[in-house]
Amino acid sequence: MFCMDQLTDVLTAISHPTRRAIIGQLANGPARFLDIAKPHDTALNSVTKHLKMLERAGLIERQRQGREVLISFRGEPLREVAGWVHEYERFWNERLDLFEQHFANKKK
Amino acid sequence: MKNSKKTLEFRFERTIPAPPGEVFDGWLDPKVPGNPWNMADKLLLNPEVDGFFYWAVKGTPHYGRFTEMERPARIQHTWVSPNTFGEESTVTVSFKKQGEDTLMTLVHSGIPDTDAGRGHEKGWNYFLDVFPGHFGNGSRKEK
Repeated sequence: MFCMDQLTDVLTAISHPTRRAIIGQLANGPARFLDIAKPHDTALNSVTKHLKMLERAGLIERQRQGREVLISFRGEPLREVAGWVHEYERFWNERLDLFEQHFANKKK
Repeated sequence: MKNSKKTLEFRFERTIPAPPGEVFDGWLDPKVPGNPWNMADKLLLNPEVDGFFYWAVKGTPHYGRFTEMERPARIQHTWVSPNTFGEESTVTVSFKKQGEDTLMTLVHSGIPDTDAGRGHEKGWNYFLDVFPGHFGNGSRKEK
């Protein structure tokens, strides 16, 4: 269940360029905190705050591996937002899925 | 709700297991599930260049005019509804032979941006551009 509060959290999270840049970094694979912070010309404290907002939105998760904590990207909340943002996206996807299925059934 | 001059465009691709001519005809046949006409409460459809359609679904009227009809490669028509604030948007459907299948591409462009869409446009464009892989499902490709 994707509630409106979570939707707000996700939209807030992706509204800031630094947080979008962090998502871009993590889309390439999990990273440690200092590796995430390195390219950004901002205080570590500020990066921590950005990560907390991304975590609250469910866009990242932390996993402890030995002595290190790896931070990784989770794409699912963005997909939920995509479905909400515009009804035409949902409408055409539903129609085209059905259309494709019709021909797949005919072929069987 | 205030209108905006900015517009949205959505693009969808599907690989359909049939030749382009069959898929083209299927897209215009109201009996085929999945095309828009199939789910109509009331439908008037004249699929030829400068032909009009009236398509009511769930109490919402949609109107349009066919502007291109090139069997089996391309269909284009305008699309007007309360969701476009009465303005003309454009739906272009193309069919390209891909082995024994058809690569079908649907582009819905010129959709007036809504308040909700406008408010979140940056995020929307960003993740659709950068993370198409996360939205993939089967043969679906969204951009």
